[in-house]
Amino acid sequence: MRGLMDVVTNVRNMSVIAHVDHGKSTLTDSLVQKAGIISAAKAGDARFMDTRKDEQERGITIKSTAISLYSEMSDEDVKDIKQKTVGNSFLINLIDSPGHVDFSSEVTAALRVTDGALVVVDCVEGVCVQTETVLRQALGERIKPVVIINKVDRAMLELQITKEDLYQSFARTVESVNVIISTYSEKDLGDAQVYPDQGTVAFGSGLHGWAFTVRQFASRYAKKFGVDKTKMMQRLWGDSYFNPKTKKWTNKEKDADGKSLDRAFNMFILDPIFRLFASIMNFKKDEIPALLEKLEIVLKGDEKDLEGKALLKVVMRKFLPAADALLEMIVIHLPSPVTAQFYRASTLYEGPSDDPSCIAIRDCDPTADLMFYVSKMVPTSDKGRFYAFGRVFAGTIKSGQKVRIQGPNYVVGKKDDLFLKSIQRTVLMMGRFVEPIDDCPAGNIVGLVGVDQFLLKSGTITTSELSHNLKVMKFSVSPVVQVAVEVKNANDLPKLVEGLKRLSKSDPCVLTYMSESGEHIVAGTGELHLEICLSDLEHDHAGIPLKISPPVVAYRETVEAESSMIALSKSPNKHNRIYVKAQPIDEEVSVAIESGKINPRDDFKARARIMADEYGWDVVDARKIWCFGPDGNGPNLVVDQTKAVQYLSEIKDSVVAAFQWATKEGPIFGENMRSVRVNIMDVTLHTDAIHRGGGQIIPTMRRATYAAMLLAEPRIQEPVFLVEIQCPENAIGGIYSVLNKKRGQVISEEQRPGTPLFTVKAYLPVNESFGFTGELRQSTGGQAFPQMVFDHWATLGTDPRDPTTKSGEIVTAARKRHGMKPEVPGYEEYYDKL
Amino acid sequence: MTEAIAPTLSTYQDVQTFEFDRFKAQERHRSYLGTDDLPSLEALKARLFDYYSMPELLAFLEEKVQYRKITLQFPDHLVSDSAIIAQEMLRALNVAVAPLGSGTDASCASASCDSSSCCKKAEGDDNSERKVWILADTSYSPCCIDEVAAEHVHSDLVIHFGDACLNNVDKLPSVYVFGKSFIDETAFTAKFQELYPDTSSKVVLMADAPHTYYLPRLYERLKKTYPHLAYAAIKLPESNTSVIIDRDAFSSAAEVGLHQVNRFFIGLKDVQQDMEQEGIDSALQGYDLLHITLPEAPRLLVLSTKFASLTIFEPTDNSINQGPFPSLMKRYRYMHMARTAGTIGILVNTLSLKNTKSLLNKVSQWIKDAGKKHYMFVVGKPNVAKLANFESIDIWCVLGCGQAGIIVDQVNEFYKPVITPYELQMALNDEVSWTGKWITDFQEVLRNAGEEKEEKDAEPAVNAEDYEDEAPEFNPVTGKYVSTSRPLRRLQHMSIEAKEPQEDDSTALIKKFSSTMAIRGTVSTSAAQLQNRLWTGLGSDFQDASVNSDEEDAEEGALVEEGRGGVARIYDK
Repeated sequence: MRGLMDVVTNVRNMSVIAHVDHGKSTLTDSLVQKAGIISAAKAGDARFMDTRKDEQERGITIKSTAISLYSEMSDEDVKDIKQKTVGNSFLINLIDSPGHVDFSSEVTAALRVTDGALVVVDCVEGVCVQTETVLRQALGERIKPVVIINKVDRAMLELQITKEDLYQSFARTVESVNVIISTYSEKDLGDAQVYPDQGTVAFGSGLHGWAFTVRQFASRYAKKFGVDKTKMMQRLWGDSYFNPKTKKWTNKEKDADGKSLDRAFNMFILDPIFRLFASIMNFKKDEIPALLEKLEIVLKGDEKDLEGKALLKVVMRKFLPAADALLEMIVIHLPSPVTAQFYRASTLYEGPSDDPSCIAIRDCDPTADLMFYVSKMVPTSDKGRFYAFGRVFAGTIKSGQKVRIQGPNYVVGKKDDLFLKSIQRTVLMMGRFVEPIDDCPAGNIVGLVGVDQFLLKSGTITTSELSHNLKVMKFSVSPVVQVAVEVKNANDLPKLVEGLKRLSKSDPCVLTYMSESGEHIVAGTGELHLEICLSDLEHDHAGIPLKISPPVVAYRETVEAESSMIALSKSPNKHNRIYVKAQPIDEEVSVAIESGKINPRDDFKARARIMADEYGWDVVDARKIWCFGPDGNGPNLVVDQTKAVQYLSEIKDSVVAAFQWATKEGPIFGENMRSVRVNIMDVTLHTDAIHRGGGQIIPTMRRATYAAMLLAEPRIQEPVFLVEIQCPENAIGGIYSVLNKKRGQVISEEQRPGTPLFTVKAYLPVNESFGFTGELRQSTGGQAFPQMVFDHWATLGTDPRDPTTKSGEIVTAARKRHGMKPEVPGYEEYYDKL
Repeated sequence: MTEAIAPTLSTYQDVQTFEFDRFKAQERHRSYLGTDDLPSLEALKARLFDYYSMPELLAFLEEKVQYRKITLQFPDHLVSDSAIIAQEMLRALNVAVAPLGSGTDASCASASCDSSSCCKKAEGDDNSERKVWILADTSYSPCCIDEVAAEHVHSDLVIHFGDACLNNVDKLPSVYVFGKSFIDETAFTAKFQELYPDTSSKVVLMADAPHTYYLPRLYERLKKTYPHLAYAAIKLPESNTSVIIDRDAFSSAAEVGLHQVNRFFIGLKDVQQDMEQEGIDSALQGYDLLHITLPEAPRLLVLSTKFASLTIFEPTDNSINQGPFPSLMKRYRYMHMARTAGTIGILVNTLSLKNTKSLLNKVSQWIKDAGKKHYMFVVGKPNVAKLANFESIDIWCVLGCGQAGIIVDQVNEFYKPVITPYELQMALNDEVSWTGKWITDFQEVLRNAGEEKEEKDAEPAVNAEDYEDEAPEFNPVTGKYVSTSRPLRRLQHMSIEAKEPQEDDSTALIKKFSSTMAIRGTVSTSAAQLQNRLWTGLGSDFQDASVNSDEEDAEEGALVEEGRGGVARIYDK
């Protein structure tokens, strides 16, 4: 296997992504089984990739798990590969990811280190909210998708639909996937859409372990009909019909006599499968052997005695082994690291694209300086230690090699977040096992031992002093649900702190921090995520009993209008004055900043260009952005609009520091600010440097920011979930009544064509979502199960300074909890008269 | 002017722009003397005599003739009384005195002035003559004896008026006169009954020193209805040799072991007399505290950790205040911030407290041992602006009096948090610990420190070959890793960086200065901080502009020309 790693063209790094319960882990089992790691009998039930006890118990994937598989392809298949390949052996590095929306961050981490994605879509449920989310993420990372439509057996056995209906359902699903792809695809990735007639879509059943692509059938029939395989593939999908009488292909659904013809797909592909199903499930024992013979399926001794579903499983697995179809699709259609890094390099690297490191990534050069991205931490059996899991993008990583570990805040030439360290060992991740290897060349995915204590969640490892960081991952979800944890026994405090550290390492998205009032806060993306995190914390990372508060929501402070007048603050020595105005930032810009599209670390001119072209900013304003805040990258801005102010650049550092401070703790109730743009209108400064130092400017700028904000119709923002509920028609009434009670807002209600199921989409404030699932289940008789994912921040329309309003209540309660005076201070508190 | 309109060209400045706020003269109302007005000077004098227990004080002074140079220390709000007291004292001590008003201006009698002549009240060459000075505008906390100011005049006795923390001072003998602040007893009793309708409530009455005078009376008054009532009398720390004038009025005769926070408790039930300190602590935890007057923030915080609940009675308007008070959890947060702070500023906010120097040395030793950098500061009275001037400081550790000398930032005013040596000590432990106590007394902190092991392993020498960086630390406050928490341990790291070739053409001062991060053998985190500044010196902004902007708004800096030289009287041509 190590030898294969050097042949980078024969490596495929791919992740399996899908909506929850669409069958990722089950499908993955088929692949793992093919590699001989689990027995065929167990495949489909084993969920090999679910390594944790709670994953097995709950039947959902929580952490993404990686495995490396070896695969041999036939010469004929290799011929069809349109990128450079050497030989018939392939190495597939596969990452199985969780489907529940709360764990989307795991998906993001998996996508970063892979080049292709196997998108699993449930044949009955179709494209769901999480399918869309993960696809969007994949395309954003320039990941090429292939699709498998899963659970076909369910459609056939439970819904008993006809061949044509099944075809229509397939076609619809493929179409809706392609709609998403074309919406989010980037042109550098090329045509990322999927086509059944090109073999980028498979159909199958993970549970039964079978799957097929049109290409497979095409090669079977190509011989029979004596036509070219590619031509055959096109004939086997879409509006293509075969007239058995004339033995002619046509694209009309009626023959010359007006008799309707069978669609080629139905006739050549679905028909044998339907016949097998019909005869086996209806126990037509006499028909079966003939059928098997015709399909060249040989049963072994005891398998012949099986009946019904068990027999069906064995037969189908022999007829159309899932692993074959999947491997074929993966190897032929997914890009190798060499192919993929060529177009991914510029989106991966923070530095300029003509930089040697970027060129090395682009060329996937194993001899260049090392570039390694740690995408997540995987717990080891040694408690508290982690494998740093990631991918070599350039160079070769070796055990014992001395490297530079660059944390997310590292800037070239500075010393912050930079560590020198030797790699202790490199290991190959194999599901629940690891295999040590000596070194690993560019393009492969490995785990590292001995660097975990330097990186919290992710980071860059390199050997070149000039290398910039690889871009930090941006998550589509946001940790907006939080609880306070406390030890039951004061002596356990050190364990809690250590446990919080381990918890934040082990999950890419969880946040642990301390509130203003000194409570330890754990913040997650949803109730399930928090539940898992807290149980990990209590039983694993800290291992101590904890007191856990009921969940609360993280709010933001914002403004609705421009400041009604210029806010003025004087420095403590009265010798300096800062005049500022606050105004709201467009939601699109804030989102762009949060998603990294507008990045504070980008070159300011390029950034200004984007802001001017795409977001309608004035170029001059955009160039004069002094800083982002809080933490230097939040969606609040300081814009310099002064003219000819002497010494202005001298106080920039102080202004930046003050703005970070002010945006971190807003004036309303100490929450982060969001979407606030502060324009510095004018500044008067004392002529002596000593009188305009940090001590004078920092407190003043903070006060001025507060005053400006309080003068600009301050508001609070709350996070809102997008809820998707699938249910039968009779449950819709119940859903509406619960949503109404919870300030929910329905945005769409659609029937899934061909099914009795309805999909309801709604916005639901996170604050109201606690216990929502339970209530929904109750009022719909357990028929509705919601998927909730953070969607946006919504501004509460009421004035938070008035304690009788909804936002006022929230603010007053929070202020009391934090030990502040219950009423929000007036702007006068921060405003100085001239 | 109602609205602030920025001047069109901000560089325009004139005298008006920076005019100072005028001092507003205000009529002082001596509410502590009582509610009625005192029209005549004589009546006021009589009242002050009574308030400050002048007869007893004078008797004491007449007895102790060895004290020749006497300094009177007044807190700011009592300075208005100082003139009368000083004059009367001099008269009583049979010293010739100038008529009232000639040199008794309180503002002149500032202790902060460096020459003693300004403070001098009584002229005369005769050494046997007794002299009196007024110390006003105390440098640090007004509750402490201001030794430094007193030493300006080589004083041999300090008489401290008003509320006091009673903390030990290093050398000077001192006398405390608390005063007997007025309290409306009927109003108090009424409020008390309203607050505690349940007569079995366990309540401790406590007051600042001036109000403590009335506590025994209030206690007797309420005792009949509230059997579980107790009160706190003033207790000098054992080692304190100072004298309290009119002592009996403030403390009862029986000084038993039940003391805490410079008070001892009378009337505490279910506490054995021979109990150890912990016994008292746990007993007090069962009591509610009713404190007369709002104590200074640090003392308030200490008290809030000692009692079950805390209520403030304000005698000036007979109001009740039940919070919010500073919270200990916030201190816990600061403690965590100190754990990952790289640079600690030691802020010396007292000079006279006993053990200041030894604690100072101890604290800097702790910080060094923890691999952190420290700088020492004395800034006079600390305020937000002064501390914010030192941007490279991550956290401040203040050495000050536990009653008023510690900064407890309740509204997040300070740019960087301020902690106490006790909290710092906990923060520098390898293991996180939190006791729920808040100790401000230096002696106790030192005692705690003594219990810890002194042993230190010699640092193993690292050679550059197999040098590896120390792992960063996790900061639970932000939930991030901090790599700068132990700058002194990353020496190697720094030197690796310092080897980088220096650009010779660079004339910028800042670059030359900061290419070496170590100044005189120690790491300078300030230099590191300066390196990270955006603005790196004169002309750097123009340099940036010319490098960055290719076309339109390229601003050209003017060429520097040699100007005129010389002194203001005669410039060169």
